[in-house]
Amino acid sequence: MTGTGTRLAATFRTRAALGLRPVTAPIMVFVPIGILLGPSASGILPPGALAHLDVVISIALATLGVFIGIAAGTRTTVPRRLFAAATVEATVTILVVTFALLVLLRAWRVPLLMPVGLVAVALGICASSSAAIAASAADGAVRRIASQVADLDDVLPILAGGVVLSLAAGSTAAATSAAATVLVGLAIGGCGWLLFERSEGAERGVFVFGALTLLGGAAAYLAQSPLLTGMAAGWVWAVSPGGTDRVVTGELRKVQHPLVVLLLVTAGAGLTWSPAGLWLFAPYVLFRFGGKIVGGWTASRIAPGVAPSDLGSYLIPPGVIGIAFALNLQQVAPEAMDPIVFAVAAGAIACEILGLLVVPPAVVP
Amino acid sequence: MPRVLALALTVAIVWLVVAVGPPLTAAMRPGALALGFALIAAALAGALIERIHLPRVSGYLLFGLVCGPYLGNIITRPMARDLQIINALAVALIAFIAGLEINVTRLLPRVRDIARLGGATIGILYVVLLAFFWTAWPWLGIAPGLHGTQRFAVALLLTTIVASFSPTVTIAQIAECRARGPLTELTLAIVVFADLLLILAFTLVMELVRGAFGGAPDVGLVAGVSWEILGSFAFGALAGALFALYLHFIGREVPVVLLALCALISGVGARLHVEPLLAALAAGLVVENVAPPRGDVLKAAVERGALPVLVVFFAAAGASLQLDALAAIGTLALIVSGLRLGLIRAGVWLGTRAARLRDGPADLVWMGFVSQAGVTLGLTLIVAVEYPQWGAPIQTLMVALIALHQLIGPVLFKSALARTGEIGAMDRVETTISSA
Repeated sequence: MTGTGTRLAATFRTRAALGLRPVTAPIMVFVPIGILLGPSASGILPPGALAHLDVVISIALATLGVFIGIAAGTRTTVPRRLFAAATVEATVTILVVTFALLVLLRAWRVPLLMPVGLVAVALGICASSSAAIAASAADGAVRRIASQVADLDDVLPILAGGVVLSLAAGSTAAATSAAATVLVGLAIGGCGWLLFERSEGAERGVFVFGALTLLGGAAAYLAQSPLLTGMAAGWVWAVSPGGTDRVVTGELRKVQHPLVVLLLVTAGAGLTWSPAGLWLFAPYVLFRFGGKIVGGWTASRIAPGVAPSDLGSYLIPPGVIGIAFALNLQQVAPEAMDPIVFAVAAGAIACEILGLLVVPPAVVP
Repeated sequence: MPRVLALALTVAIVWLVVAVGPPLTAAMRPGALALGFALIAAALAGALIERIHLPRVSGYLLFGLVCGPYLGNIITRPMARDLQIINALAVALIAFIAGLEINVTRLLPRVRDIARLGGATIGILYVVLLAFFWTAWPWLGIAPGLHGTQRFAVALLLTTIVASFSPTVTIAQIAECRARGPLTELTLAIVVFADLLLILAFTLVMELVRGAFGGAPDVGLVAGVSWEILGSFAFGALAGALFALYLHFIGREVPVVLLALCALISGVGARLHVEPLLAALAAGLVVENVAPPRGDVLKAAVERGALPVLVVFFAAAGASLQLDALAAIGTLALIVSGLRLGLIRAGVWLGTRAARLRDGPADLVWMGFVSQAGVTLGLTLIVAVEYPQWGAPIQTLMVALIALHQLIGPVLFKSALARTGEIGAMDRVETTISSA
């Protein structure tokens, strides 16, 4: 018992030392809770309730997109090489996971309801996101850089994810649909810019929450990505004159945690066990790990002095964006994407554990 | 100007999305789009209409009406249907806020006056409406062939439904105007009292109708109604006590917990066959009168939680106003509505004299009784399902009346609140207390 307690305390210390927020990984807590509450376990959350939560998922996805958009817009002041390093790291991770899975799935002939290429790319995009890392001016340069890379490495996957989502929804002009989604996000962003700073109190809360809901709802209606509309709007709020991004961030803090909890619980509750999901799980974890290490190393070669050589080991804990994207895929193609949601959600838990084992030498507690 | 621009931009975005989006299938859920649209655009419409001294809720309603399926069709029928999901939560929250506004200690000495005023109003409504429906029955177009007991029973049923008020709309408007004072308290007490009477009267009259049409009387109905009223209060009081304990000992994330409490009351309450409105009212009563919270934490939570819920509730109500029913049965609806309005006015006039309330704002209380909404519609639906032959025309008439009263009621009540200076008094009282 004491041994277990000590190991648990060491785990918390390791996460804290890595700067991961919060110290207990939400994925490790809320996805299993969702599994327990879901139709395949206790049934407290029946399929009908999960269908109603679909609206909440769209709003939560848009909220996450807004955070990333604001981070991308605000971080335009940091060196472009850092953005390049984050993009390279994400690109390499996507490529490694996609090609490795493509080869493996073709060899194994796993029965899937979607083209193998689309499944491999989708998993590659889910694999590329990293957990947010807390860093302040007092922290070392390495952690601060890792924190910024973790924030910025979601931009490219969300853009690519928008196109993949259009393809999964059966769109014949996926790039055009994704571009239209960005335009919708930019327009709603403009609308928010006109309103947020000119209102206060409860009315401001209504406008911000309304904009988030509209971002999620418009994308869901068009069978597109709320992450993409949210990111576009967040970018507008960050780069537009005034302090709209600060207003939005302040309001979002009030709903961020309940929305993330609902997202993870819904992901857990909606998990459907299938042979295809089980086949995808282990390769996903393995290739993601490899992709992150190679991606971090490549970024450090391309942008020496900006990206540390052990960058990849900071980025192994996955965060919620991967699960969010998988859920978004499930919204547009429910049955076909069930194995992906299973692999990504279970894989996220495995990657969290892996992240605690592969700790950069500088932060060993 | 930025608000007008933002409203135009929001409408344009949603119109484009609906126009270019794929055709809706049963599997698609347009709820988030409708919800986001209603939150931004209805809130803006409410703020803009307030500039011409009309109530905000009229702005929300007009937004729903103009953009809804019967006019603009930007909010399509499936979107309007999805918007209704929030109704149960809204009713519970609105009633909870009403409970917070009822101070039993202050109200007790006036119970006799309130009963006299309410009794006179409801009594006059019942007697004259029943006489009117009985006399004019052959020309109403509902079921001209009915005679004797059957005609009397259906006329009495129609009277019961037409005489009903809307506690939800009245309470929502009080919450939205942050109103407090003698008129607010009097109106609130009477609409809640009338709602209780209505549930009871409707149950008894339905038994009479069943008897008149040869149906078997429902022996469990009286027990069911007793449970609905007493059980609602017991369930609500328990929920309120738990919430009061939460406020006292934890007091964190109060807006989320408040919304969860209302979701619990509306969700679990429906399964237990209790009336969410009464249960939530009882919960609010317990919190206010048994364990009043310290500080501004609940006030802030109510302000934060109430506005979005009210905006969506009224926008959804506007989107569901069936203008085709009003067009089809307009003349009769106008006559019945005019009669009802006159009788409410006359009943209050007599009641104030019987209760010797002539000096206060009681003469204006009739303006708070005009609205009709969900409860009335719910009763109409029960009739239409059980007796489709004559229930369907009654439903059409009631839908038209609700459309009229939803539009007129809030304007009248806000005007009364403005005349007595009670708008915003909730904030003024709290400011005074906190600065004392």
